[in-house]
Amino acid sequence: MENTDKFTPLRKGLLEFLILNIVSSRKVYAADILKRLSKTDFATQEGTLYPLLSKMRREGLLDYEWQESDLGPPRKYYKLTDTGHQQLVEFRQYWQFLTNFIQELGENDNANR
Amino acid sequence: MQTVKQINLSGHHTIFRLSEDAYDALRQYLEQARLSLRDDPDHEDVLRDLEQSIGEKLTARMRSGEQVINITDVSTVLEQVGPVEGGNSNNLKDIPQGKRRLYRIKEGQNIFGVCQGLAAYSGIRVDWVRTIFIALTGVTGGLFLLVYLALGFLLPVVPTHAEYDAVHKASLNLS
Repeated sequence: MENTDKFTPLRKGLLEFLILNIVSSRKVYAADILKRLSKTDFATQEGTLYPLLSKMRREGLLDYEWQESDLGPPRKYYKLTDTGHQQLVEFRQYWQFLTNFIQELGENDNANR
Repeated sequence: MQTVKQINLSGHHTIFRLSEDAYDALRQYLEQARLSLRDDPDHEDVLRDLEQSIGEKLTARMRSGEQVINITDVSTVLEQVGPVEGGNSNNLKDIPQGKRRLYRIKEGQNIFGVCQGLAAYSGIRVDWVRTIFIALTGVTGGLFLLVYLALGFLLPVVPTHAEYDAVHKASLNLS
């Protein structure tokens, strides 16, 4: 896509909400999130993800618990808090609104031509 | 015989054995990460996560526990982990704001840019500031030169007048 640079800030801002989505389905650890996003436009790396997860935990959206791993040290498994669930609902509603709104704008403009 | 260095990574009981260049690269990455995260209240926690993840990836690349990890292993792993993005990447934000402050300005500097900074701070033309400085240095038998030197070492630096104005404007908005 040619305008791909313009979308970078948009993608960056959306990442947090995609993480809310991923974590909402089941308990995940960081590598699960990276893997889920790896083949998409939103592919990211530990260097970005860890600070973001830590910020989201600080804001009370996520919580984690330690679980033993066969392959090394115990891992942090993340889950959504009530606030996190609530924010995800709000985000989905807002996204729906935006989608409709953008659609509507396009239609009105075409009709007025 | 190459030098082998050892490093502990958070969460891992085993000690990692690295070639010197690999060790340096890893240390440099971790220091850079610490720097990027210095404004993050949970930076210790994030750094532990990073170390743990790097350790897991290095372990996966080792064929035996005895193996010395080389620079290729470390570079590949660090590339996977990616640069650490802290909250702010803008250096100007690091300058404490809230009141008008004195800086050295590199743009148009003769020596350290102290006079440029004083001129921007006071609104007096820089030639006048320089003249006053030279006059005072003459009157005090060179002692005033020490003041210039002290300011040169003590004052924070901004590269250009435009950036000085940007900081200044931000300060005015806050106060």
